[in-house]
Amino acid sequence: MTDDLPPHPALLPAGLRDLLPPEAEIEAAAVERLMAVFASHGYERVKPPLLEFEDTLLAGAGGAVAEHSFRLMDPDSHRMLALRSDTTPQVARIATTRLARAPRPLRLSYAGQCLCVRGSQLLADRQVAQAGIELIGAEGPMADAELVLVAAEALAAIGLARVSFDLTLPPLVPALLAAAGVCATAQSALLHALDRKDAAAVRQHGGALAETLTALLLAAGAAPGALAALAAADLPPEARSHAACLAATVAAIHERAPALKLTIDPIEFRGFRYHTGVCMTVYAPGRHEELGRGGRYLSGESEPAAGLTLFPDALLRAAARPAPRPRVYLAPGADPAVAAALRRDGRATIAALAPVADSVAEARRLGCAEILETDGLRAVTAE
Amino acid sequence: MTVASRIAAFAPQESVAPLILALPKGRILGECAPLLARAGVVPAADYADEESRRLRFPTNDPTLDVVRVRPFDVATFVAFGAAQIGICGADVLLEFDYSEIYAPLDLGIGLCRVAVAEPAETAGQQDPARWSRVRVATKYPNIARRHFGARGIQAEVVHLNGAMELAPGLGLAQVIVDLVQTGSTLRANGLVETTVIAPITSRLIVNRTALKTQPEAIGAWIARFRAALGQETDATAGEGRAR
Repeated sequence: MTDDLPPHPALLPAGLRDLLPPEAEIEAAAVERLMAVFASHGYERVKPPLLEFEDTLLAGAGGAVAEHSFRLMDPDSHRMLALRSDTTPQVARIATTRLARAPRPLRLSYAGQCLCVRGSQLLADRQVAQAGIELIGAEGPMADAELVLVAAEALAAIGLARVSFDLTLPPLVPALLAAAGVCATAQSALLHALDRKDAAAVRQHGGALAETLTALLLAAGAAPGALAALAAADLPPEARSHAACLAATVAAIHERAPALKLTIDPIEFRGFRYHTGVCMTVYAPGRHEELGRGGRYLSGESEPAAGLTLFPDALLRAAARPAPRPRVYLAPGADPAVAAALRRDGRATIAALAPVADSVAEARRLGCAEILETDGLRAVTAE
Repeated sequence: MTVASRIAAFAPQESVAPLILALPKGRILGECAPLLARAGVVPAADYADEESRRLRFPTNDPTLDVVRVRPFDVATFVAFGAAQIGICGADVLLEFDYSEIYAPLDLGIGLCRVAVAEPAETAGQQDPARWSRVRVATKYPNIARRHFGARGIQAEVVHLNGAMELAPGLGLAQVIVDLVQTGSTLRANGLVETTVIAPITSRLIVNRTALKTQPEAIGAWIARFRAALGQETDATAGEGRAR
């Protein structure tokens, strides 16, 4: 016998939570507003399943997220299944199989939940909502810029106008290291140092590249300064062409949204593991988390594609909370036609299921600011 | 185009709340003082007074406040964005390996090392290559596990917060992994340093997201500290102070 108490029924596994009123409704409404903006730019919605065969879900671009994925065995086929931890690889699979013959560029959108085996250092959440767009079969600065502009418009639609996009070039550092012939063991220490922007360790492990890498490391910041530093840096041809892509993307974004805040971090590559070109991360001032991320990758083996995923959980923490839906108590005998008109007007009506002694007190108890009785609508005064 | 009209520019007074600079209590705090002075940061006078109950101090700059916390907590405050900038030893960064911390500047102060030490009478008598495991007393469990793990040895860590030097003599552990500055504490307790795991200096650290969202403000502080470092050799490096 032990004295262990039975688990509390409210206790959930780490990183999982219940969304209650009003957050659950706010979240759903926000996701629909994001999706409406995506749809208005021609991004058509797809809905991949939660579970797929492990070997197809984690093939190709999905391989990069393999270590984040929950697995279970399918009792039916006896094959291993994996739960998606990211939606982009699923959309890429759809684009290369079922929609292989759909005309390019193919614009697809999605919204849904993902599960990761562990949370991040900052955030314990293991279930993460995603709402995103993929632009498949197109490349070049206009395509990359479109993702940023559509995402910015979607964020503005839920009240997040003051966001910034951090643009990065994950393939730049590998291109620099390859051109300099850095060996594999030195590479891993150097990549870790670059990831942590540890200037001292970059100098220690950087060898001939130390000066260039240190200059790029210090160049992170507002777009104009960072682009100038990239232009001035001593880059081999492949890295130079990546830098030119980035500059063209910045120009394309600024041409259409001159006020949008852009920062550039040329040596950032964290979390961008299947990406092949310009990538972006969305931030909001004063928030310590990423609101979204995306970038260029290969769909299937060879088709150019780019996508951007927003994280509704983080968006809702950053956005101002909308006014709650006003509630009206429908006393017995209230006119159903008037009640229907109130609902069309955006109110929620709370119908009395049985007569009560004091309708006003009942309305107050149920959180209603107004009451509809046989003689019409009136405000419920606070007690 | 509609996007342009719907996206507001960042207001010039972006961050109304002051930035927080986290400083470590104890040994390094004293060494920070000249550097802070050269960077033009003048915290309220009692910040260096370990007796003061105050933990948060205004500075001469209304956009910067200083907090004084334990060295290990500097990294935690900065990693979670509670402080945007901090000064802490590379030992703390090695131990926690927080992915949200950038360490853009080696301040060259707080020189010491993380090292393995053993009792003087037994040191060198065993061949560690033959060990499957070793019991280590340390306040750096991750550094200890990584160091021995890389040599094929499981480290059974006894996690202590201080007085590691007592552990071998009292049978708590075979070896210790600790910060060594002069080695006098080791000698006084009959221990000798057998392996240096890493040389340590203090770093200026910044929160990753803060650097992304406030690149001008954070970048200016990095530049200011860099200028302060170069000041002995470079007479023109005072531009940070002139801001």
